[in-house]
Amino acid sequence: MAQIARDSLTAQIEVTTWVTKHVGGDGSGSKLFTEPFALGETVRQVLRRFTARHPELDAALWSPDHAELGEHIEVIVNDAVLGVTHELDSPLKDGDRITLLGQFMGGSCLIMSR
Amino acid sequence: MSPTATASRPTTKASAASATVPGYAGKLLRVNLSTGKIWTQPWAEHMREYLGGVGLGAKILYEEVGPKVNWDHPDNRLILATGPLAGLPVWGTGGLSVITRGAQTNGATSTQANGFFGAALKYSGYDAIIVQGQAKKLSYLYINDDVVEIRDASHLKGKDTWETQEALEVEHGLSGHRLSVYSIGPAGENLVRFAAIQGDYGHVASKNGCGAVMGKKKLKAVCIVRGTKALTPHDARGLVQAADDIAHDLKTDPAASTLYRWGTLPGVTNLYKLGALPIKNYTTNLTTVDMTTWEPAKLRNGFDHRGHQCSACGMHHCHIQVIRKGPKAGELVDEPEYEGWSGAGWTIGATDQEGISWLNTRLDRACVDVNEFGWVCGWVMECMEKGYLTEKQVGFKLSWGDIDGAYRLLQMISHRQGFGDLLAEGVKRASEKIGGEAAKCAVYTMKGASPRGHDHRGRWEEMLDTCTSSNGTMESANPTHQTEFGQPGRINPFNGEEVAKLVGGILGRKHFEDSLGGCIFTFRSRIEMLARALSAATGWNYTMPEALRLGRRTAAILRAFNLRCGIGTDLEYPSARYGSRPVDGPAKDHNIMDQWEHMVDVWYETVGYDRKTGKPTRETLKKLGLDWLTRDLWRK
Ligand code: SF4
Repeated sequence: MAQIARDSLTAQIEVTTWVTKHVGGDGSGSKLFTEPFALGETVRQVLRRFTARHPELDAALWSPDHAELGEHIEVIVNDAVLGVTHELDSPLKDGDRITLLGQFMGGSCLIMSR
Repeated sequence: MSPTATASRPTTKASAASATVPGYAGKLLRVNLSTGKIWTQPWAEHMREYLGGVGLGAKILYEEVGPKVNWDHPDNRLILATGPLAGLPVWGTGGLSVITRGAQTNGATSTQANGFFGAALKYSGYDAIIVQGQAKKLSYLYINDDVVEIRDASHLKGKDTWETQEALEVEHGLSGHRLSVYSIGPAGENLVRFAAIQGDYGHVASKNGCGAVMGKKKLKAVCIVRGTKALTPHDARGLVQAADDIAHDLKTDPAASTLYRWGTLPGVTNLYKLGALPIKNYTTNLTTVDMTTWEPAKLRNGFDHRGHQCSACGMHHCHIQVIRKGPKAGELVDEPEYEGWSGAGWTIGATDQEGISWLNTRLDRACVDVNEFGWVCGWVMECMEKGYLTEKQVGFKLSWGDIDGAYRLLQMISHRQGFGDLLAEGVKRASEKIGGEAAKCAVYTMKGASPRGHDHRGRWEEMLDTCTSSNGTMESANPTHQTEFGQPGRINPFNGEEVAKLVGGILGRKHFEDSLGGCIFTFRSRIEMLARALSAATGWNYTMPEALRLGRRTAAILRAFNLRCGIGTDLEYPSARYGSRPVDGPAKDHNIMDQWEHMVDVWYETVGYDRKTGKPTRETLKKLGLDWLTRDLWRK
């Protein structure tokens, strides 16, 4: 199969609440980004490339060794937390939506590790 | 107004008792409303073991309220306790814990509120007030340093909590923060089972019907003049350093700083994205409303705001607001917490922000718990929509989102009028009485309390916590930094075993926090820092393991209290609707009940309780240093 150019597939990345501070926002509301990707690329790969351009987000999203996600930001793909319909290593489809949701403390938020 | 015939003063001997540990007032104030006797009791011996707040309250409740003393018995105790950090310069340390046998579960209650009361109590020379008995007529307690009097409150009868505070301010010629008042409104006077105690315009100790206990005692209010006694910490410099570190953490830590900036407002949009915003009594997790209008900045810009911070608090969190538009324009209200937007809004299908804000304050003023009201009102709305309840039964037509109708229902409940008399019993009792299909729509725990304002079907840890807890609400509540407790930073929220291990693993954290005399929001820092502040205040070297041990001791005592009252393992599950499978939204089809039994088993194992009897095991009690409880619980 012919290689599909990266920019022919796109995912939308929505960054919300305090996390927006790490991508040039003011820490409220949300900021939307359109991220091109190649066929077969995973949530992890696309997020890695995205955070590489935003060093503060990179530090906040991943654990120090970058092996896993850190503690305080949830990753939601198409309205589902990781582990439900997607893993970090699931391939993305054209038009998928990734939401980075800052942990809210009116109780608790549990986050998937796989 | 002159003191009533029952007015009396603390004994001189007891008044002279002094603190033996820095940071404490060193005395408990005791009031018997039946006899009019007021006395004080020195306490120092057990401070390190029980700290204050719920730690102290749990011990007193267990020792003084026997199993035959139901919530409405005069011998029930109403304990208003603060802790060793109250009144000291750590953010949010005007906090108050209310501990009693509550009206909803008829079991232990511990519920917290903020404002100024805790600090005023300490400055008056007391660490806690323990009220017993029942006044012959409606009364209020007046505290001005050593002068403590039970006064006639007949002129306050029927007043809501804000009116009560205003009337007492006028009566005593004190306003602002010179007088702190915690009172009940009509709902408390009329023994609504989910009546709360409200204070300092907008702070509520809301859980398990503590306001009904106060109403039963015919105690309309406790008002306390700010107090003139100095509190001396052991290490003032160390305390200020710890306080600064906590404040810095809350302002700069990425997760904690959300609260600093927006309070709990982001909860609405965040929980919606997780399928945990309760919409229309759990019938859906989706809305067609534009959720960007619910982002904190927009939500806050919709009103005119006045800061309304509590004692010693630098958190930009509590606000009084003026409604700008709509039929309630010009009214002064308290900015709803997330729970208010949820209970007075989404749960009952309302999305009119001005209306919700107004209703939320009306609930506070009537002294009704906003969450339980949401479950009661949402249940009526759903049942009327589906024809399980008729207009004739309810008295008028009530449909989703009808704020004025909800207010009408609130008045009926507060005054126990018509159908409101049944609803005043809370959603569990009311739905069981109606029965049939209607009973299946009600959200509650089998113990009789209800969840907070989330859809716990998308938040399993909170459903498990709510159903297994012994205090009429949640006992654990996830910390900001769960890795601090050796817990994983991330787990699968729909993996029952992982959830149960986490909830069991953090048991104790919340009780430690609630024993200090501060606020849930400002104490969302690292426990290590709170332990450091406590050590500086008292001179103890209080470590994090000791903090957790204290919390787990408190949990064990509350559990033992409930077991002795007959509240056991057979009640640790959600109602049919509460534990149902979400039909849409992000948590769609994740059915907690498929894993429930296993989750409860794992939780029991993690906390070290016996699965069959519900008792903390002998080994657990030994580890916690609760030998006296072992003798009670396990004697043959
Ligand atoms: S954080 Fe809010 S509720 Fe807590 S003490 Fe401060 S102002 Fe009061």
